[in-house]
Amino acid sequence: MSRVWFLYRKDLRIEFRKKESVASMTFFGALVLVILNVAQGPGRRLTPETAAGVLWVAVIFSAVLGLGRVFARERENGCISALLVSPASPGTVFTAKALVNLTLMLLSQAVLVPVFFVLFGTGLAGGPLALVPSLLLVDAGFSAAGTLLSAVSAGTRRNEVLLPILLFPLILPLVALAVKATGGALAGRPLTELLPLLEPLAAFGLIYAAAGYLLFPFVVREG
Amino acid sequence: MSFTLDEGEFLCLFGPNGAGKSTLLKILATLLRPTSGTVRIRGFDLEDDPEAFRARLGLVSHQSFLYDDLTARENLEFYAGLYGVADPAGRAEELLRQVDLYDRRDSPVGAFSRGMQQRLTIARALVNDPDLLLLDEPYTGLDEHAASVLRDRLRALHDRRRTIVMVTHNLRRGIESATRLGILARGRLVFLAGRDEVDADGFEDTYFRCMEAP
Repeated sequence: MSRVWFLYRKDLRIEFRKKESVASMTFFGALVLVILNVAQGPGRRLTPETAAGVLWVAVIFSAVLGLGRVFARERENGCISALLVSPASPGTVFTAKALVNLTLMLLSQAVLVPVFFVLFGTGLAGGPLALVPSLLLVDAGFSAAGTLLSAVSAGTRRNEVLLPILLFPLILPLVALAVKATGGALAGRPLTELLPLLEPLAAFGLIYAAAGYLLFPFVVREG
Repeated sequence: MSFTLDEGEFLCLFGPNGAGKSTLLKILATLLRPTSGTVRIRGFDLEDDPEAFRARLGLVSHQSFLYDDLTARENLEFYAGLYGVADPAGRAEELLRQVDLYDRRDSPVGAFSRGMQQRLTIARALVNDPDLLLLDEPYTGLDEHAASVLRDRLRALHDRRRTIVMVTHNLRRGIESATRLGILARGRLVFLAGRDEVDADGFEDTYFRCMEAP
């Protein structure tokens, strides 16, 4: 567990020093929200389901920016090889990277969700806190699947293009469920009514995490 | 190829580009699986408990394995933590002094010259005080100061009976430190002898004869 902590702390230290991923994720996500707000036109209100779709478009597209960067950093100066010849198992590296991605997503959403409510919140019954369960569950699943696929794409020359192409189809069920759950939360439905949507979200997160943990060694090792 | 190395030996392998030197080191470092055959350490198959083996391994490769955005001290503390060293900060300080980088401990590695990065790379590889040290062309790009730091560190490790395997093109550097010398050509170990059995002046002729042999 301490190795996960050392890896996690190292990545966050670099991130807070460079502010590459969080800044670009947040800025890009906010830009998407503003563009969609302009496209919506003045004085029009969105239904909770449409507003949920808007939020997830901004969240998912912005998160992909950070995912690619976190793993690409390990390819510079061959650092991934140093991790692989260390006593840290590939599963440990995967866990730490997934936690870093989760942290970056949560940090950017701490800005994006308030921006979303400022731009689209009028007339919505549910507040920001109602979104927390679905955001956490999707972030967990997304960061697990994204960590595995960013390790795949980081070894290629078309990293930035390949990652979304691989990732978006894989997380489609997660996003579909998230839009429904978030739409319900924005419509003011209580948490107990949303459980039938949140439970499969948790199940997807666990499947992605388990698959990522087991497949990661095959992705990062040369042979 | 097949060879046995005793504890405390310093094997230097020479060979042209493409001879399989780096591949051999990658197999020894568990970065690559051999297509056939096995590697045994103290009688145990490397595949049985690779993580325990890696805990006692040091590797200097073509690449530095350093994070440009971290300082020299942060890099060493990170690797020391990863290897479970009891006092990462103390170990980092000790190594920074050994490679003459203590004064630059809080500078980001990205601002270091090639020679300074290579000295830090050596410190990084020694962070766990390894029993087996693998070095792939460690003298490439080193200035005289960095080369003498590396030579001193290797001598100190050898004196403490650590096992070292180094691959290099540099015949002089290899011969001056090693206890055994080997030549790789076309993926085969075509020559292996103790340093005492080899005439240092005539080794270059031996090397070229091995290269020319069919």
